[in-house]
Amino acid sequence: MSVSTSMFSHQHVSPPLALAWRLPPELTIPLGIALAVLVLLVIVGKIPLSYNVRNLAVRWRTTVLTALAFTLVISLQTVMLGFVAGMNKLTDESGQPGNVMVLSDGALDELVSNLGFSETADVDRHPGVVRDQQGEPLASREVYLVVNQPVSGTAGRQQRRFVQVRGIEDPVVAARVHGLELYPGGAWFSDAGVQSQNGSSGEAEQEQAVQAVLGEGVAGQLGNDRGQERLEVGDVFDLGPRKWIVVGIMKSAGSTFGSEIWGKRSLVGPMFGKEAYSSIVLRTRDAAAARSVADDLTTNYKKAALQAQPETEYFSKLSETNRQFTVAIVFVAIVMAIGGVFGVMNTMFAAISGRTQDIGMLRILGFARWQILVSFFLESLVISLVGGLLGCAVGFMADGWTATSIVSGGQGGGGKFVVLELVIGAETLLAGLLLALAMGAIGGVLPAIAAMRLKPLESLR
Amino acid sequence: MFKYILLIGKNLRRNLLRTTLTALGTMVLVFVVTLVWSVLDLLDGVMAEKSSNLKAIVTERWQIPSQMPFAYALSLGEGAARSPGDVRPQDSMTWQFFGGALAPGVRSREDLVFAFAMEPKKLATMMDDLDNLPADLARELQENIRKMESNRQALLVGPKKLAQIHKQVGQRIKLYSINYREINLEFEIVGLLPPGRYKETAVMNRDYLNAALDNYPRTHAGKKHPMAAKSLNLVWLRVPDREQFSRVADQIANSPLYGDPAVKCETASSGIASFLEAYRDLIWGLRWLLSPAILVTLSLVISNAISISVRERRPEMAVLKVLGFRPTQLLILVLGEALGIGILAGLASAGTTYFVVNQWLGGVSFPIAFFPVFFIPVSAFWWGLGIGAVTALAGSIMPAWSARTVNVADVFSKVT
Repeated sequence: MSVSTSMFSHQHVSPPLALAWRLPPELTIPLGIALAVLVLLVIVGKIPLSYNVRNLAVRWRTTVLTALAFTLVISLQTVMLGFVAGMNKLTDESGQPGNVMVLSDGALDELVSNLGFSETADVDRHPGVVRDQQGEPLASREVYLVVNQPVSGTAGRQQRRFVQVRGIEDPVVAARVHGLELYPGGAWFSDAGVQSQNGSSGEAEQEQAVQAVLGEGVAGQLGNDRGQERLEVGDVFDLGPRKWIVVGIMKSAGSTFGSEIWGKRSLVGPMFGKEAYSSIVLRTRDAAAARSVADDLTTNYKKAALQAQPETEYFSKLSETNRQFTVAIVFVAIVMAIGGVFGVMNTMFAAISGRTQDIGMLRILGFARWQILVSFFLESLVISLVGGLLGCAVGFMADGWTATSIVSGGQGGGGKFVVLELVIGAETLLAGLLLALAMGAIGGVLPAIAAMRLKPLESLR
Repeated sequence: MFKYILLIGKNLRRNLLRTTLTALGTMVLVFVVTLVWSVLDLLDGVMAEKSSNLKAIVTERWQIPSQMPFAYALSLGEGAARSPGDVRPQDSMTWQFFGGALAPGVRSREDLVFAFAMEPKKLATMMDDLDNLPADLARELQENIRKMESNRQALLVGPKKLAQIHKQVGQRIKLYSINYREINLEFEIVGLLPPGRYKETAVMNRDYLNAALDNYPRTHAGKKHPMAAKSLNLVWLRVPDREQFSRVADQIANSPLYGDPAVKCETASSGIASFLEAYRDLIWGLRWLLSPAILVTLSLVISNAISISVRERRPEMAVLKVLGFRPTQLLILVLGEALGIGILAGLASAGTTYFVVNQWLGGVSFPIAFFPVFFIPVSAFWWGLGIGAVTALAGSIMPAWSARTVNVADVFSKVT
């Protein structure tokens, strides 16, 4: 897979680390305990840590091989968790807290939702819906479609990708409702929704291209097809039976809208045979108002059976795939860690076997059994800490890589095809460090106990 | 040669702890690779174009989910053949999807049932994996098909789904539709779908759904159901070879019958490959990132163990040299020890994974595309053997070379 089309299609400049470092207690507490234990062991251990460090340096090949195994396991885990964190970011940040998402009753996703035009004509007249300066409700009526787009396939096979298209009635209102802006140089599509390919309007219908506003992710994806970093304003592409022309790029990184193409609803819907709205998104005052309006519409709206919910809730339901991926990744990471534990055990047992006489001498010099245990246990932790830190550093390089995936609510949930950015935040790095320390502790404890149990005189023979 | 193998065996037994730890590490890592490769193997298999006994899929041309009028079903089942010389498919099957909840308004996984609405008899001839069942399961399936043909309300449910919804064969359920508004249907669960691929789905008689759609206007002032002209999701066609497929695809593409909506005909593998396009980067990561990294980790674990072993046995290597062993023989001895552990542990791991996953767990779930479970193929035995051998070889080359170059004088000068 080429660089431009692979998981590593481009890197971006990470935001300041501090912004990403929201540390959850379920990670900080165990890590804090682990580090406290580590420091305590260093303090109470009578055998100087430098003794262990020098031994690690003397057996540098074994140390490097063991630490490298840790590095690989932890870096892989970091990248995999970064992938899921990217998916979580999409589902967490796509919804506006004050928005209400209205779907047809029973629809698990807007893809399979059908709201008749006349039945839902006054949904946005609900008193809880915020109005703009002209007194018009901030409501966006939308049709959401997934369209086949032919792409070059392998071995002469025609392959397709699925592109998400959102038909919008009023793009300015929709942008306000969804909290989106355009990059400079772009514009929202016109009332007609079409223009000639060279930019002048008034041409015959068949010569005109549908005006499209692209999310950043899909702009990059379509741009890759023609060797560009992304499509830009003025570029023309094929989708469905028509030509489309890019009139704007949305600042939409980190949301599912980044993977969408927006066009005029009255063109997009009929073009793909959808003569109804998929969803109506209403802006309310705040999250509490959104909940109240959603409940009221679901229960009391009589002209059509509606299913209204806060937009944040709708997107959080799309995290079922994220959960399944997390389970799979944790499983793989744990199994790999078990393999690494056997490796570190080998290293530590060999270290003890090679230093039996050292241990005997230390015992004769008056060091207690537990001090021997602490010394070897610390040695194992040092290897794991070094390997783990390196693994985190290597994994952190994946921060900002882009990848394609799907977020969905599981069975029948429809789902969205998304272009996401890997997010290697503090949580992911802490999880890696914790796993490394756990591997070092589990792999080191048995050999350390074995060292502790050695009899001084027998050791010296 | 035999004595050589015996010597390798004895050497491995000398430090049983190290041998065991290395073998366990190998087994664990081979286990992960086997799981990952099983997923990739299945995906590669379904995306590989066949040259004979092809299945083609006809769907709506531009949109997913594909929603075509059921009126398309009959002619599409004939491959849009109109003239005497036109090609007709060997077999065909229609799919309509019906999703419902056990109670109005509930949306939890435990309350949802998704059914393929289809002709019951096509279950045994057109559904992947159901056309080559073992004799006992095939008999049971035929019996269930007969029940479905005689009872339109019959429902076959996958064993896992049946357990999820806490129902049993023989019970009746009502499903409140989530994709056909106001089409709420009562079913009698008459049997189980075979375990495996269809364990989380259900199958119903298409006539029941179509009758419900036909009856809808009677209770709604003559108004058709909004999905009445969109109820056909897929048509499957079986054709003998690529040439026949191309002709059928052309017949469908050029037919005037399918204008609104337009349709497309593609091979099943091509259709699945398109759907998997969304998972492209994930699959790439599994194939080119995760698998190689595990293999390198495994090599490191083995390399570490063999390095330690060689370092501890330098005097012994020197003695062997004095006794007449050639450097190459020492190299082969060390490589043999690593290969012994790698191959045996790799085989044991692949074998255990095969039986535990396939027989005990009933497949492994991985959330990719529409494949509910993945099974370990028989070729996993070869993978285990190969992974064990290659990683052992890669990990032991340096230590083995070090054993080969042991300098006798150097070693004995340090022995007191």
